Amino acid sequence: MQIGDELEPLVIESVPAEAMKTVAALLHDPNPIHFDVESVKALGMGERPVNQGPNNMGYLVAMLGRAAGGRERIRRLRVRFLGNVFAGDRVVARGKVESIEERDGERLAEVEVWLERGDEDRVLAGTATILL
Amino acid sequence: MQISLEELEALKGQSFPGGTYTIEPYRHWLMNDAVGDIPSTSGPASPMEIYYGAMGGLGLTLDELFALAGATAADGPMFGEAELEQRRPLQVGETYTVRGAVTDVVRKEGRRAGVFDIVTFQLELVAPDGEVAGVSTNSFVFPRRD
Repeated sequence: MQIGDELEPLVIESVPAEAMKTVAALLHDPNPIHFDVESVKALGMGERPVNQGPNNMGYLVAMLGRAAGGRERIRRLRVRFLGNVFAGDRVVARGKVESIEERDGERLAEVEVWLERGDEDRVLAGTATILL
Repeated sequence: MQISLEELEALKGQSFPGGTYTIEPYRHWLMNDAVGDIPSTSGPASPMEIYYGAMGGLGLTLDELFALAGATAADGPMFGEAELEQRRPLQVGETYTVRGAVTDVVRKEGRRAGVFDIVTFQLELVAPDGEVAGVSTNSFVFPRRD
């Protein structure tokens, strides 16, 4: 891995509404925007369920884990939430190596990460550190 | 305004009740399957478990957390930033002690957004041997419409 390299992107062709229901149940998240279309409509947020923010982070973790050779090699991930992802959206998790340094005998890469929704609309952006 | 600036600033440093969090194997499988990651029921856990553990073990429900900041879910609190630090690999099936506190509060005013507060809190997942395995830092944005 070299500075400037782009990591293998993770593509979700269509964010599944069913996964949001599973996550809502497992996280004890009562917010109906994640599973009830009528609530989404009533709030004027469109006609599709809204993905949980942690799910959007999870796409970046999946992308980083594959690039690093294991999720346990992800040392840090910091993101800003910039927008929503809806059921049926195509999203792509991407990363680009910004710097590489040796620290305490380990080789670490600092990676710019982001999640694109549709046509390059960044809904999540931040940085990560992975062990090489 | 549901909460005064003085009340808001008094939150800084306030500890959460805390608790414990176990990375249940079936749950780890389902959560990873939901985001296109590798589902597994043993071995190293996804670092997302640092966030799930923090929220699951802080000792408050999301509604109680919002109430602490003088808000409800109906006020439209939003996720601002999130940071995961994995100091050592988390293990599926292991139980962690969760401890933490509110670390920062800021009141801001935007031309469009009006007045809003940003509340940041940090939680640690402590492994059975006493070592901190993960740190989760999150900020919520609370719009103050009245």
